[in-house]
Amino acid sequence: MSRATDWLARRTLNERLALLAVALGLGALAVGDVEARGKVTLDTRELARIVEGEVDHVTPEELADWMIAGRADYRLVDLRAEEDFAAYHLPGAERRAIAGLEQAGLGRDERIILYSAEGIHSAQAWMLLKAHRYPAVYILLGGLAGWQEHVLYPLEPAPDAPIAERAAFARAGEIARHFGGAPRPWSDSGSAPAALAPPRPTSPAVAAPVAPPTGAKPGAKRKKEGC
Amino acid sequence: MSMPLYKLGAFGDEASLVVAFLIGIGFGFFLEQAGFGSAKKLTDQFYFRDLAVFRVMFTAIVTAMLGLFWLGWAGVVDLSLVYVSTTYLAPQIVGGLLLGVGFTVGGYCPGTSVVAVATGKLDALFFLGGTFLGILAIGVAWPAVEGFAHSTDLGRLTLPEVLHLPFGAVVFLVVLMALGGFWGAGALERRLGGKGEEEP
Repeated sequence: MSRATDWLARRTLNERLALLAVALGLGALAVGDVEARGKVTLDTRELARIVEGEVDHVTPEELADWMIAGRADYRLVDLRAEEDFAAYHLPGAERRAIAGLEQAGLGRDERIILYSAEGIHSAQAWMLLKAHRYPAVYILLGGLAGWQEHVLYPLEPAPDAPIAERAAFARAGEIARHFGGAPRPWSDSGSAPAALAPPRPTSPAVAAPVAPPTGAKPGAKRKKEGC
Repeated sequence: MSMPLYKLGAFGDEASLVVAFLIGIGFGFFLEQAGFGSAKKLTDQFYFRDLAVFRVMFTAIVTAMLGLFWLGWAGVVDLSLVYVSTTYLAPQIVGGLLLGVGFTVGGYCPGTSVVAVATGKLDALFFLGGTFLGILAIGVAWPAVEGFAHSTDLGRLTLPEVLHLPFGAVVFLVVLMALGGFWGAGALERRLGGKGEEEP
């Protein structure tokens, strides 16, 4: 038996374990980082849960309320092209390109609301930020088009609509004027909101399915983690 | 990568409850075996008479840390999927102070009080009752405290990010810290706790 094994044999179990820990620690020091930087893994289960629960959406009306209330606890990010942003953008929005969005100075501790012209780009950017583990990323529902339709140029309810709906519309009208828009009268219901909206090709209206959506439950349970 | 098992879909929600149950039994068993079902043993650490709690906790931390590091290195665990709770600096400092006071006065921390109840300790039963009353109180007062509870949100924060050091360097430093702590604990016990020679 060599002297080294002889010495080791005289150590107590605690001392041997301490030596093992030091050896593994020294190895860790030599290895450095476990994962290459820039590589990301998606937690698909968690993402699916968020998408199903629709908790990552902000409606244009909600956002308008936040703006009027003067809330400053979010970052509003416009993902459209430079010239579109220059032509019009939401109050307080900042433009960011999708490429390199994760290095665009957005904080992981911030509530980030993304919007694009209609919503596809913001959904793609949402996935990108989620992959980089931004916890609080939201999509403005319907994008800028949704903002125009619901906030800037809300449509007056039908004359035979319930009183409550017509009363709620009075407030929508005030909000629209606050942001420089105007409510559209009921007679305009067939046309697209004017001004900023590009002319829409006329196509036969597709009837929305009446049946309530099945499957995804609102407020689907979220797995709690931690102790 | 095949772990974390739950995150990668090795089993579903229902099976995860069974796994949690089994891990819970193991956790409780080892807490009890380490002597953590006794309020006297637990509070002895605050008077430097018996630092077993410190040793057991730090040993667990070092074991888990080395295991995760090397399993991550071997490609068995995807560390980016391991849950890291959010850092809320101010509320966690206040909460830590409260827990420390409660631990010293009451003799248990939440987990060990459950262990002690399981072994029939009456004081632990009162402690656990108080825990539930406290939870009820915070639930009722939640609207008033929610703003504070979610303040100073630093997100998912880890030591390598804060210290701007490679993960491995932090692992090594924590190992050194643990061994230094074990040595210091033994010295403190011998000096203040009136304990005889004991291996750290």
